[in-house]
Amino acid sequence: MIGVDPRVSGTQRYSVHVERPGMLHAAFVRSPHAHARVLAVDASGLPADCVALLPEDVADLGRYGCQARDQRVLADVARHAGDIVAAVAAPTAAAARAAARSVDVTYEELPAVFDAVEAVAPGAPLLHPDAAESAGEAVSIGVRPLTGTNVCHRFRIRHGDAAAGFADADVIVSRAFRTPGAAHAPMEPHAALAEWEDGRLTLWTGTQTPFNTRADVAGAFGLRPDDVRVVAPPMGGSFGAKTFVRLEALVAALARKAGRPVKATLDRAEEFLCLNRHPATIRVRVGAKRDGTLVAKELDCWVDTGAYADCGPGVATKMGYAGVGPYRIPHVRVDALAIYTNLPPNGAYRGYGAMQSVWASERTMDALAEELGMSPLELRRRNLLRDGDVFATGEVMHDVHFEECLDAAARAVGYAEDPRGAGLCVLLKGMQTPSRAAVRIERNPVGYVVRSASCEMGQGVRASIRLMAAELLGCEPGQVEVPDPDTDTSPFDTRTTSSRSTHMMGRALAVAVRDLRANGGEHGFGEVVNEGGLDPDTGQGIASTHWHQGAASARVSVDEETGKLTVERLHGVAYAGRVVDRAGAELQNEGSMIMGLGTALFEELDFDDGQVANANLSDYNLPAPGDLPAGFTHELLESEGAEAHGLGETVLPPVPAAIGNALASLGLDVRELPLTPERVLEAVDRR
Amino acid sequence: MHLILNGKPWQVECEPGDMLLGLLEREGLTAARATCGIGVCGACTVLLDGVPVTGCITLAGQVAGREVTTAEALGGSDPVQRAFATAQAFQCGWCTPGFVLAARALLEENPDPSDAEIAEALGGNLCRCGSYVKIAEAVRIAARELAA
Repeated sequence: MIGVDPRVSGTQRYSVHVERPGMLHAAFVRSPHAHARVLAVDASGLPADCVALLPEDVADLGRYGCQARDQRVLADVARHAGDIVAAVAAPTAAAARAAARSVDVTYEELPAVFDAVEAVAPGAPLLHPDAAESAGEAVSIGVRPLTGTNVCHRFRIRHGDAAAGFADADVIVSRAFRTPGAAHAPMEPHAALAEWEDGRLTLWTGTQTPFNTRADVAGAFGLRPDDVRVVAPPMGGSFGAKTFVRLEALVAALARKAGRPVKATLDRAEEFLCLNRHPATIRVRVGAKRDGTLVAKELDCWVDTGAYADCGPGVATKMGYAGVGPYRIPHVRVDALAIYTNLPPNGAYRGYGAMQSVWASERTMDALAEELGMSPLELRRRNLLRDGDVFATGEVMHDVHFEECLDAAARAVGYAEDPRGAGLCVLLKGMQTPSRAAVRIERNPVGYVVRSASCEMGQGVRASIRLMAAELLGCEPGQVEVPDPDTDTSPFDTRTTSSRSTHMMGRALAVAVRDLRANGGEHGFGEVVNEGGLDPDTGQGIASTHWHQGAASARVSVDEETGKLTVERLHGVAYAGRVVDRAGAELQNEGSMIMGLGTALFEELDFDDGQVANANLSDYNLPAPGDLPAGFTHELLESEGAEAHGLGETVLPPVPAAIGNALASLGLDVRELPLTPERVLEAVDRR
Repeated sequence: MHLILNGKPWQVECEPGDMLLGLLEREGLTAARATCGIGVCGACTVLLDGVPVTGCITLAGQVAGREVTTAEALGGSDPVQRAFATAQAFQCGWCTPGFVLAARALLEENPDPSDAEIAEALGGNLCRCGSYVKIAEAVRIAARELAA
């Protein structure tokens, strides 16, 4: 490689830097109300060089949405404060924002609901009365809306007979937990640029999901997928924020109206309205024999997906089965509801629902241990899944390493010797299943070009692909060129999510290299397909063809005068199988733990009547360099001959529960995240 | 308005409300990046007479006649940049130019900072990818290299 990496020199170009000749800049007209019908939009005050996108301009466009087609390009009913009801394009971004302020919208306010549990109570305002119909059009997973309610998806696990299991239990513990909404806060905001040429649409957009975006935008515009091209430049962070259709349909509609390319870039406050993490309320009930053998577990999850379903059904599903935990339990019942509320939409967030239910489930394990008079470490060891065991989904577990992860975590904080002030958590998380990945290799004069739709967002997928391809091809990594994803030239990939890319692309590369060698060495194509999926009504099937396994441990101290919680030690463990890019894998582990630390200690969206009250990086705190614990360590577990396991998210979900359990070991039982000084002080008072 | 930008005299038109970051963007410079808009994340860090400032809350008028340095001026061969590359102290890279400039300013003032001093000096820069462990390592590598 010549010269320093462009990310270090500052010359890296991201989607916010894409420009096209003659392009205009977009700004959005957003509803100030959390729930209101749009009665009239008056753009007569717009300057002559601006273009307005009004309800009549999108009347011919269909609905979109990755798991329920419940979104319109412009909202005819605003379903959250900040929902986009009109848009403008102008020669500069500043002129566009000024023009957007000149648009006058008349609303009829409607009753609103801001809590997922309240939103399923009888009489709650309905957000999408036609939810069943829009879910019926969705294609990606079997969605089960409950007609006439705000439930856009109900996921259930029915394994054994939970009632009979509890009847057989000697000890039963029941707890309820809450986790708040949170911001992904990628440093680079969302940006998308649309250009039409002869009826064909090109989108340059920072996205993890180029093919999903292509299909969904094509559907809304009545185009064939081939008539839409999505180019995905590297992202300045995403963490799930830049998944599925965000700004792409809007800029495409604006560009169609303007007859010129149009680009939108969100400002920081708008980032908090675009996509957030699902708030959740979770009830756990677990029953065990006197010797600690688990016999039954029930989990109820109220998963707040906000104004639109987005991938909330998928998040609720993963939350549901991750909350069972990596344990052998003969009788399991799970009911996880993805519920509409009048908050901004919630979607994929590093961990994809696992953090929320693992927080609840693993805190309950410590409560059960206390009830049994057992060590929490011993209770977990006694019940952990091992190779050949059957999980609650009915699938037989393979390549199982939970015990190694747990033991490594316990060792790092000296848990067995001194459990007081220390806490553990062990994690089971699935990978997107079913899914498909493909890669194409082309010989060029200096080496090879490897084309795939795996998107770079800082997780290092380009480096992983380069290293894996070089190893398989017997060349230097510097000879392998990995262009940005482009749906015109990159073969199909399900998406860059769920820590799947190194694992799936590594397998596809092996196939492609075999193909290249068998066919003269100039071209190779490789594809891998993972079948599976769960029955949404029973939770039986194949949840994951490949398990993400991890653990975390913490040691804490508390100032009981101020409520200040100090994490003295934090250790994360991810089962890596085989590490492809050592530094990259370490960065993913460290980054996951730091994000988990923010989740545990201070990250929380503060809503006031549906308005985000802390929509800036001063009031919404991100972990800073000085927030790292004095002891901050992690491990990547490998085994001889193993395949590469995904690890981009694995050690985020267990961090809050490890810290919460450490706090609980001091008699301070806080069941709602984040663990703020106020909540710790209340726990001191309760004790 | 006249100033020195990356070592060269620069004459630029500006309005009273313009911020330095906007001026740099209009000039086609992209290493200082609009991110938080309120001066708390450090991703638009530039050096003003050698001192790190955030371009998003520095009025253009404040820099008249002064010397502004952006990460572009380092050209990729600065010892601190090389240390960031060696330590692989970045993920998405969005915040990296800001960290590099803040680290440079720290090492000029304190050539042998402790871990606590590194965390303190870089406290005005945020990395959402969470590369802080390797960023601190990069600063230690750069300190050793500059001392040698």
